[in-house]
Amino acid sequence: MRALVFAKRNLKEIVRDPLSLIFGIGLPAFLLIIFQQFNIPSEVYNINNFAPAVAIFAFGFVTLFSATLISKDRTTSFLTRMFASPMEPKDFILGYTLAMIPVVIFQTVLFFLIAMFLGLNLSINILFTILILIPISLIFIGLGLLIGCITSDKSAPGVSSIIIQLVAFTSGMWFDTSMVGKTFQTICNILPFKYCVDLSKAFLHGNYNNILMPIIVIIISIMIIYLVAVLLFKRKMQGDAK
Amino acid sequence: MPAIEIKDLEKKYKDKVAVNKISFVINDGELFSLLGVNGAGKTTTIKMLSCLTKPTSGDALIFGNSIIGNPYEVKRLISISPQETAIAGNLTVKENLDFIAGIYQVKDEKSKVEKILKELNLDKVSSQKTKTLSGGYQRRLSIAMALITEPKVLYLDEPTLGLDVIARRELWDVIKSLKGKITIILTTHYMEEAENLSDRVAIMSNGKINIIDTPKNIIKASCSKTFEDAFIEFAKEVK
Repeated sequence: MRALVFAKRNLKEIVRDPLSLIFGIGLPAFLLIIFQQFNIPSEVYNINNFAPAVAIFAFGFVTLFSATLISKDRTTSFLTRMFASPMEPKDFILGYTLAMIPVVIFQTVLFFLIAMFLGLNLSINILFTILILIPISLIFIGLGLLIGCITSDKSAPGVSSIIIQLVAFTSGMWFDTSMVGKTFQTICNILPFKYCVDLSKAFLHGNYNNILMPIIVIIISIMIIYLVAVLLFKRKMQGDAK
Repeated sequence: MPAIEIKDLEKKYKDKVAVNKISFVINDGELFSLLGVNGAGKTTTIKMLSCLTKPTSGDALIFGNSIIGNPYEVKRLISISPQETAIAGNLTVKENLDFIAGIYQVKDEKSKVEKILKELNLDKVSSQKTKTLSGGYQRRLSIAMALITEPKVLYLDEPTLGLDVIARRELWDVIKSLKGKITIILTTHYMEEAENLSDRVAIMSNGKINIIDTPKNIIKASCSKTFEDAFIEFAKEVK
């Protein structure tokens, strides 16, 4: 109940800051449209592969939204007030997470509508892909929670942009990661972003043969990120409120 | 039963002692001011009393509930208006109050929000986004958000910081109207404010309480002419 009240407030804070929202949704949408105009001879840019990859890339901006909101709440002492309330760590984590879900759904649905306009065939797989993208987004929301907990409102956007860059370069969104050498490929295999793109592509293509590994990596990543987030919130609540 | 009973409360940050085993009692309905120069230990004391930081040793009871053993029960009884206004900037005045009422699960939320909007003269700006409000209105909203929870103990951390004279006096009237109804702990750097509003004052330095008494008795005890002179006398470093 408290988590829902908190989520409602957080969502209002995000949607009433339209500039960052327009940027966070507009830039990926622009990339989706513009790269379909170039007819690049690579399977990566085929709309069937590029649309789910852009949806994952856009989740990097969800990290930015949540990190900025939390760090701002800390800087303005809003969280000090909330830490002195009867809210528990789970209420904070749930409240920030649930607020991001409507943003995630809006982004994803919008990108697939644009993708259909650009030639993606309408199929039930689009719905399945949107549904699997919601749990995948927890990785990015959780990373925002972590960054928001440890950075100031001035440094949060900068640190979050590292995540956006990491998604761009290690997810296989722009190029096949096996093309750039062993070391880089190892980094891509350690980070969860490639698996997020692989899983969303598998759902869109209706090819579920190789989804076990991505599912395992994504679930483990979500569990680790949220465990650390809960511990950090607990520590913040019991220690310095800032 | 006293509202707050502080027993040998201590807070250390590594080797630095921020609050040095203080003990005192605050009565129900009392307006109690904590004074001291920067770094004296006022804010750390309030943070411990509001369960925002754990004491290194000692304890405090808020209406019989330990801040260490029963922090969630303590949090139901207290409310805080921090030094910064701590309001949600993109929400309206009314939305901020509705939000806090929802978090504390206040009964008859709608009528209580309307009542507090009127009592604190916020009804004219109730649909305005709070980031567009003047500093005086933001402070008033911050106190309204603390009061909507119907606390038994209210912590006001420098509530008039940065306000002009008129806004400050208006806020004094609000604070005076609360006297006797709830227990208030106030921190301030304005001596005039502490003298005018407080039933009793504690002056801290280096984490220790140097004196606790009424403003008049503190002036007498220091043989000073003004409360400010008396404060300087007692706020000096204890060697």
